[in-house]
Amino acid sequence: MPESLRHRAARDPLLRLAPLLEIRWGRVARAVGLGTATLVCAIGLAAAAAWLIARASQMPPVLTLSVATVGVRAFGTGRAFFRYLERLASHGVALRGMAALRANLYDRLARGGADVVALRRGDLLARVGSDVDDVGDVVVRALIPAAVAVVTGLGSVLLVGIFLPAAGAVLLACLLLTGVLAPWLASRASRSVEQRGAAARGEVAARTLELLEDGQQLRVAGRLDERADGLRAADRRLAAATDDGARVAGLSAAIEAGAQTLAVLGCLLLGIPAALAGDLAATELAVVVLTPLAVFEVTTALPAAAVQLRRSREAARRLVDLLPATDGVPGGPRPAATDDATGLELEEVSAGWPEGGRTVLRDVDLTLRPGGVVALAGPSGVGKTTLLLTAAGLLAPVAGRVRGEGLFVAEDGHVFGTTVLENLRVARADVTEVDAREALAAVGLTTWLEGLPAGLDTPLGSGGTDVSGGERRRLLVARALLAPHRVLLVDEPAEHLDAATADALVEMLAGLARTTGRAVVVASHRLTPLAAADEVLLLGPGEAPGDAARVVARGTHDALLHEVPDYRWATDREGATLRP
Amino acid sequence: MRPLDPRLLRQARAARSYVLLTTALGVASAALVVVQAFAIAFVLGPVVIATSPGGDGVVDQGGTARWLAVLAAAAAGRALVAWAQERFGRRAATAVVADLREQVVDHAVALGPRPPAGATPSDVATLATRGLDDLQPYLVRFLPQLLLTALVTPATVLVVLGLDWVSALIAVVTLPLVPFFMWLVGTMTAGTSERRLATVERLGSQVLDLIAGLPTLRAFGREVGPAARVRSLGESSRRATMGTLRVAFLSGAVLELLTTLCVAIIAVGVGLRLVHGGMELVPAIAVLVLAPEIFLPLRRVGSEFHASTDGLAATHRAFAVLDLPADDGSRPGADREPETAPAVAGATLVLDDVSVRAPGRDVDAPAHLSARLALGTGLAGGGRVVALRGPSGAGKSTLVLLLLGLLRPDRGRVVVEPAADGRTDVADRAGRGWWDQVVWVPQRPAIGPGTVREVVTDGHDVDAAALAEAARTTGLDAVLDDLPHGWDTAVGLGGAGLSVGQRQRVALARALVGAADRPVVVLDEPTAHLDARGEQVVLDTVRAWRAAGRTVIVVAHRTSLLELADQVVDVEAKEAARA
Repeated sequence: MPESLRHRAARDPLLRLAPLLEIRWGRVARAVGLGTATLVCAIGLAAAAAWLIARASQMPPVLTLSVATVGVRAFGTGRAFFRYLERLASHGVALRGMAALRANLYDRLARGGADVVALRRGDLLARVGSDVDDVGDVVVRALIPAAVAVVTGLGSVLLVGIFLPAAGAVLLACLLLTGVLAPWLASRASRSVEQRGAAARGEVAARTLELLEDGQQLRVAGRLDERADGLRAADRRLAAATDDGARVAGLSAAIEAGAQTLAVLGCLLLGIPAALAGDLAATELAVVVLTPLAVFEVTTALPAAAVQLRRSREAARRLVDLLPATDGVPGGPRPAATDDATGLELEEVSAGWPEGGRTVLRDVDLTLRPGGVVALAGPSGVGKTTLLLTAAGLLAPVAGRVRGEGLFVAEDGHVFGTTVLENLRVARADVTEVDAREALAAVGLTTWLEGLPAGLDTPLGSGGTDVSGGERRRLLVARALLAPHRVLLVDEPAEHLDAATADALVEMLAGLARTTGRAVVVASHRLTPLAAADEVLLLGPGEAPGDAARVVARGTHDALLHEVPDYRWATDREGATLRP
Repeated sequence: MRPLDPRLLRQARAARSYVLLTTALGVASAALVVVQAFAIAFVLGPVVIATSPGGDGVVDQGGTARWLAVLAAAAAGRALVAWAQERFGRRAATAVVADLREQVVDHAVALGPRPPAGATPSDVATLATRGLDDLQPYLVRFLPQLLLTALVTPATVLVVLGLDWVSALIAVVTLPLVPFFMWLVGTMTAGTSERRLATVERLGSQVLDLIAGLPTLRAFGREVGPAARVRSLGESSRRATMGTLRVAFLSGAVLELLTTLCVAIIAVGVGLRLVHGGMELVPAIAVLVLAPEIFLPLRRVGSEFHASTDGLAATHRAFAVLDLPADDGSRPGADREPETAPAVAGATLVLDDVSVRAPGRDVDAPAHLSARLALGTGLAGGGRVVALRGPSGAGKSTLVLLLLGLLRPDRGRVVVEPAADGRTDVADRAGRGWWDQVVWVPQRPAIGPGTVREVVTDGHDVDAAALAEAARTTGLDAVLDDLPHGWDTAVGLGGAGLSVGQRQRVALARALVGAADRPVVVLDEPTAHLDARGEQVVLDTVRAWRAAGRTVIVVAHRTSLLELADQVVDVEAKEAARA
């Protein structure tokens, strides 16, 4: 049993993430202490007031009540004071944890061998922010309230139990109902709503999106009403899933609402005979009966805490999945190219993705010299990006050898939410304003730069100036040019650009390679601009279906035009958009 | 900002029943709170008096038993009310959200292809999916507490007034102080917390930006440097957030202080009046039990306040979309009367000096366009291909929207001249009648859900030979070879399971056979994601449409399509004349 418990604990994603939160337990204890003080004030107020009234009804000398009156007033004031401090303390713990988690996550992802596959899945990274918040919330909403509830709950059971042990037992039983059973039910309900509702929720979102994006088409095609009915039906399914969960959640709420009165009832049933038998003083009876009215405040936060715990655990699981299993860059250190004049050498390289284990592309030989421009052509999905990632050292080759280093310039390279200059400094920390202007001029962005409100200091990206598709691609090329790398591996520089702009960009890249002595490999699905390359590697499917792709032809653009009929045909179809 | 938007009650029928239900349950719960207090007092009071020094040690057993039974009933009643609120309240809240979502989506579509800022598909999608979900906590958690404050608080104060007017007076004096001090703290700190909140958001987005850019940083080998920056940004973010919280929690503390202190003062006052014989024990206990209940709903309103701001913000955005003027009747709407549009066979579409202002630019695209597009006869051999040509941004896609009648020109007219006589404005006569004669194949066609066969035949009875022929022409046969179940492969919503290129071919095949009864085909030629072989497919399909006697209006980017066209319309943009 302990074995399996340990096993389960080791698998719990929240516990696995815990070290990354760098929680300082002293601070947690302080928050729990303040939370306990808050509830002690609340319960103390009820107990003292109950005693005060019972005692006062016996009309003793007023002075005998002075301790109770002062106590009632002090508890009444203290509660707000402690509550304020507790909220600050627990949020402080959570915020520290979230900041540490973000930093540690970044660290692990940056240093560790997180494979590019995971990193390139933008949706995962996009969720990191809210997932970290969810994990942090576990401190404020679950951990500290639960600890406070245990301490104060047991404390009040003890208080009531001292006067009348049986009443203490009743109170404990009712607290277990609201503090354990109700949260468990609430958590189950929310899980069932989320799991069963996930499909319905996804369908509602998909149908909403379809109606909004394709609404005009659907109007013309006369299918709008049909699709709107589809959305209504999906919403009904979502409501049904919510309804199922509400049945259990309703039970949880009922227990919470009824248990308090039940505890009072139990204390009365046990207390009255005891008082009449003379075992319990009148004032003590009042305390035993009226204290439970305040005690149940300790468990009110627990159903929400259970729900939060489950959500946080799911968020933690996603974060754990994102973390690299092992440290170190895939493929290990790279041997340098054989001689200085060679930038990058690929020797019978086969490339593929680590997850599927399938080789996408096999037997590629390639030698790049400074100033050389090589193009990869072929239909989309043939493995151009995979080969570039392998050449850049971001993927380990399935077979063969890669020597030298190259800079992978992704088609969806990130434009950071900072100034133009800082975005260029991603390439190299010591980029000066002069360097920056030169690089932007080289890619034809001088006019764009002049049009910016604050020149190089204009912020870009979210919250800043919008960058159009063409400007963005040029900016990414300018940034690549500023990097110290001598070999640039550029993936589809012209994707989503119109033909003329696209061809001009590839030509410009080739020209820049020659003037700056860099070597460039460019992957492109358009063939016309490849006239600018020294050599074109035409990639195509393997001989049998299911085989890895291979180089089906290589040579200059002109040679391929003459030798490969398909290449000629495909180029002709693109039309003469390069030059009028 | 009002805590309950009256438009919500007017527009969403589900919201009305929800508020009614919650109000009824609120009244019931107020009654139960009072009953419980009296039951406790009537049971406990006599026993305390009887067992106190000088008491006779005897209680009325029957009375005690009766009140204990009432207390048990109150426990059951409270459980029942809480259950009903959760069970039916949640369902009703879901219905309110669904109701509002459907209204917003319907209305956004009816705004046409050029919705104003704030109602673009992505804006509305965010609002309709994630945004309106904020309404759920508002409806489930905040609104019931607000209604309870309005119902339970005055009711309990009235009951306390009947028991002990001094305690009631203390509560009545304290109650208005709560919102007053919360307002005071709120206004005094509003500027600070807003400034700090902006800082917090900025710092947070910088960290996320660095994480999102990690693949790029790694490619440059620059991923290690920013780690320290992430840590220091996190630290500044924490400090800024704590600053905000220190201020934000103040109003909560004020609320808490006033309410608990008031309960304490009432308890002490009752105690002192008991000592002097100014009060009986039974009402004293009832007052003591009721005093916290006066403030409980108010305190819960305070703690759920953020749920209200999010929910109200979502409501406001929803009504901002719903308040946009929809189709003014001059534009075709899905709900328009089915018009009898003129038959288009052999007709002519006339563009008469048409201009449309490009959104956000001082440019007319297209500008001053006049042309006569002769349409096909509908008979085999009588088809026509009309190509729309022009640089990007010239307004080709806008022209397509004009021809479809989805958009009304800012200047000029688009009219149909039937083969007989008379002229009909496309924008006036559009709607069902015109659309029933047109099939539109945009760059991202809407496909699915259904099997490929269902999508392509579109409910028509098409024989296998014609289907195979269409598949060959449009290159769908190659796509089918790649699909796991060929014609019977299920296509998800929005074409899920198919690539963009595959979707395009399915849409071409559908326009060829499934919509063969529609004489006009409007094709926005796909350029991206289409290699040269894909282009051959488009050419073959356009030829097949023409051969069937249909009219093909195509936005053409490539010479091959322009060579095929019977008529080429040049579209160009011009700087708009200053009005």
